[in-house]
Amino acid sequence: MQDHYKRYSMDIEEVKQRAGPREFGPTDDMPEEYRKAATRMIQFHANSEIMGAYIERPFIRQAPSLDRKLAVSAQVQDEIGHGQLLYRAAENLGIKTREQMLDELANGEGKFLNCFHYPLDDWYELPMIMFFVDGAAMRRQATLKRTSWEPYAHAIDKICFEEGFHIKHGESILAELASGTRRDQQRLQEAFDKWWPRILQFFGPTDDQSTHSDFSSAVGLKTMGNDALRTAFLNVYLPKAEKYGLEIPETPAVTFNDDTNRYEVEEEDLDWDEFMQIARNQYPQGVGQIDKRHRTQEAVEWVRDAIENPGAGSAAAD
Amino acid sequence: MIFEVFRQEKRKDYHVHVGNVHAPNREMARMYAQVVHARRKPAHSLWVVPKEEIAEVDSDDEGVAMGGLTQKEYRWATNYNTDETFAEEIEASQREQEEAERGREEAAEGNG
Repeated sequence: MQDHYKRYSMDIEEVKQRAGPREFGPTDDMPEEYRKAATRMIQFHANSEIMGAYIERPFIRQAPSLDRKLAVSAQVQDEIGHGQLLYRAAENLGIKTREQMLDELANGEGKFLNCFHYPLDDWYELPMIMFFVDGAAMRRQATLKRTSWEPYAHAIDKICFEEGFHIKHGESILAELASGTRRDQQRLQEAFDKWWPRILQFFGPTDDQSTHSDFSSAVGLKTMGNDALRTAFLNVYLPKAEKYGLEIPETPAVTFNDDTNRYEVEEEDLDWDEFMQIARNQYPQGVGQIDKRHRTQEAVEWVRDAIENPGAGSAAAD
Repeated sequence: MIFEVFRQEKRKDYHVHVGNVHAPNREMARMYAQVVHARRKPAHSLWVVPKEEIAEVDSDDEGVAMGGLTQKEYRWATNYNTDETFAEEIEASQREQEEAERGREEAAEGNG
């Protein structure tokens, strides 16, 4: 009978103790601190899917062949779908509604991955996103199959199922350009030089500098630290870059440490001021990307209205 | 009333459709579902859903285009083999896609 007057709510210590893969779901009464941390993480991921799609979208038009056009449009479609899955998973936490999260993104309050703040100039830059950035994202996502918030893990299952195609298609574009004319190879190298530091910053600041890492790891939302993820990424993707004849820029310095068996990045060579400006949604080009999303959201407002208030618009149309 | 039953075998598994029960109301449906679908086979949880509440999209319906009917090789990881090895998570994704592909082929043979 005691349970009738006091609703059972898990405290943080119990959450930390039980934390494990897919441990918690909508039927568990999670403490607010956990729900807020999970919302922050999933909303960031959802926003990134949407903004990633916006970066790739122009290349549906610019694709050099019909095969590429079909594949790029399929990828953009997948990414918008991933965004939808993730907003649902976040909504389950009861902190924010889907509407709220979409509004925040359009108004410049929603945060998303650093690399999607930089628009792409040409086709040579596309594999920087489609192969390296998506490859880095996939590395991170694979570790989230073991996240403690079950609806998030379910969304990740579907995302990982689809994403293998994206990265392999990106690699195919990279391989094609790398085996093209000298001019192609040069332009590819220029794109790589420009993107390499941004890619190194993809996983965020090192663990000792990361703001939210400790709590998210303690409650099982995050299953691997930023440093370990970046190392795992570099272990595969740095040899790949070399295989396709790309020269790794001298700065930022990346060296393999034989003792620790991992790559080390000279943090001071990276532009963390720009990274923080991006993190505050104040980087000018990133603001342009957000505005683009804002305009699109406004442009299709009438569709949402028509769906939510059927019949309301018909009088005006007469 | 018919209620469709979705069974989750172990905690953290997905709920999978296992059949339906005929019951006069929700409460009885929950009981029948337990007896029919969770008495012998182990189950951790059941979802019991009124059949009429389930919206269905059938591939035979007019204007419906669902995956698997048209050629869409460009959508699969198996279509792009520019290298011998890939990151483990990419290979895992491809294995899942190959498994789904086999499932589709078996289903197509079953239909033929």
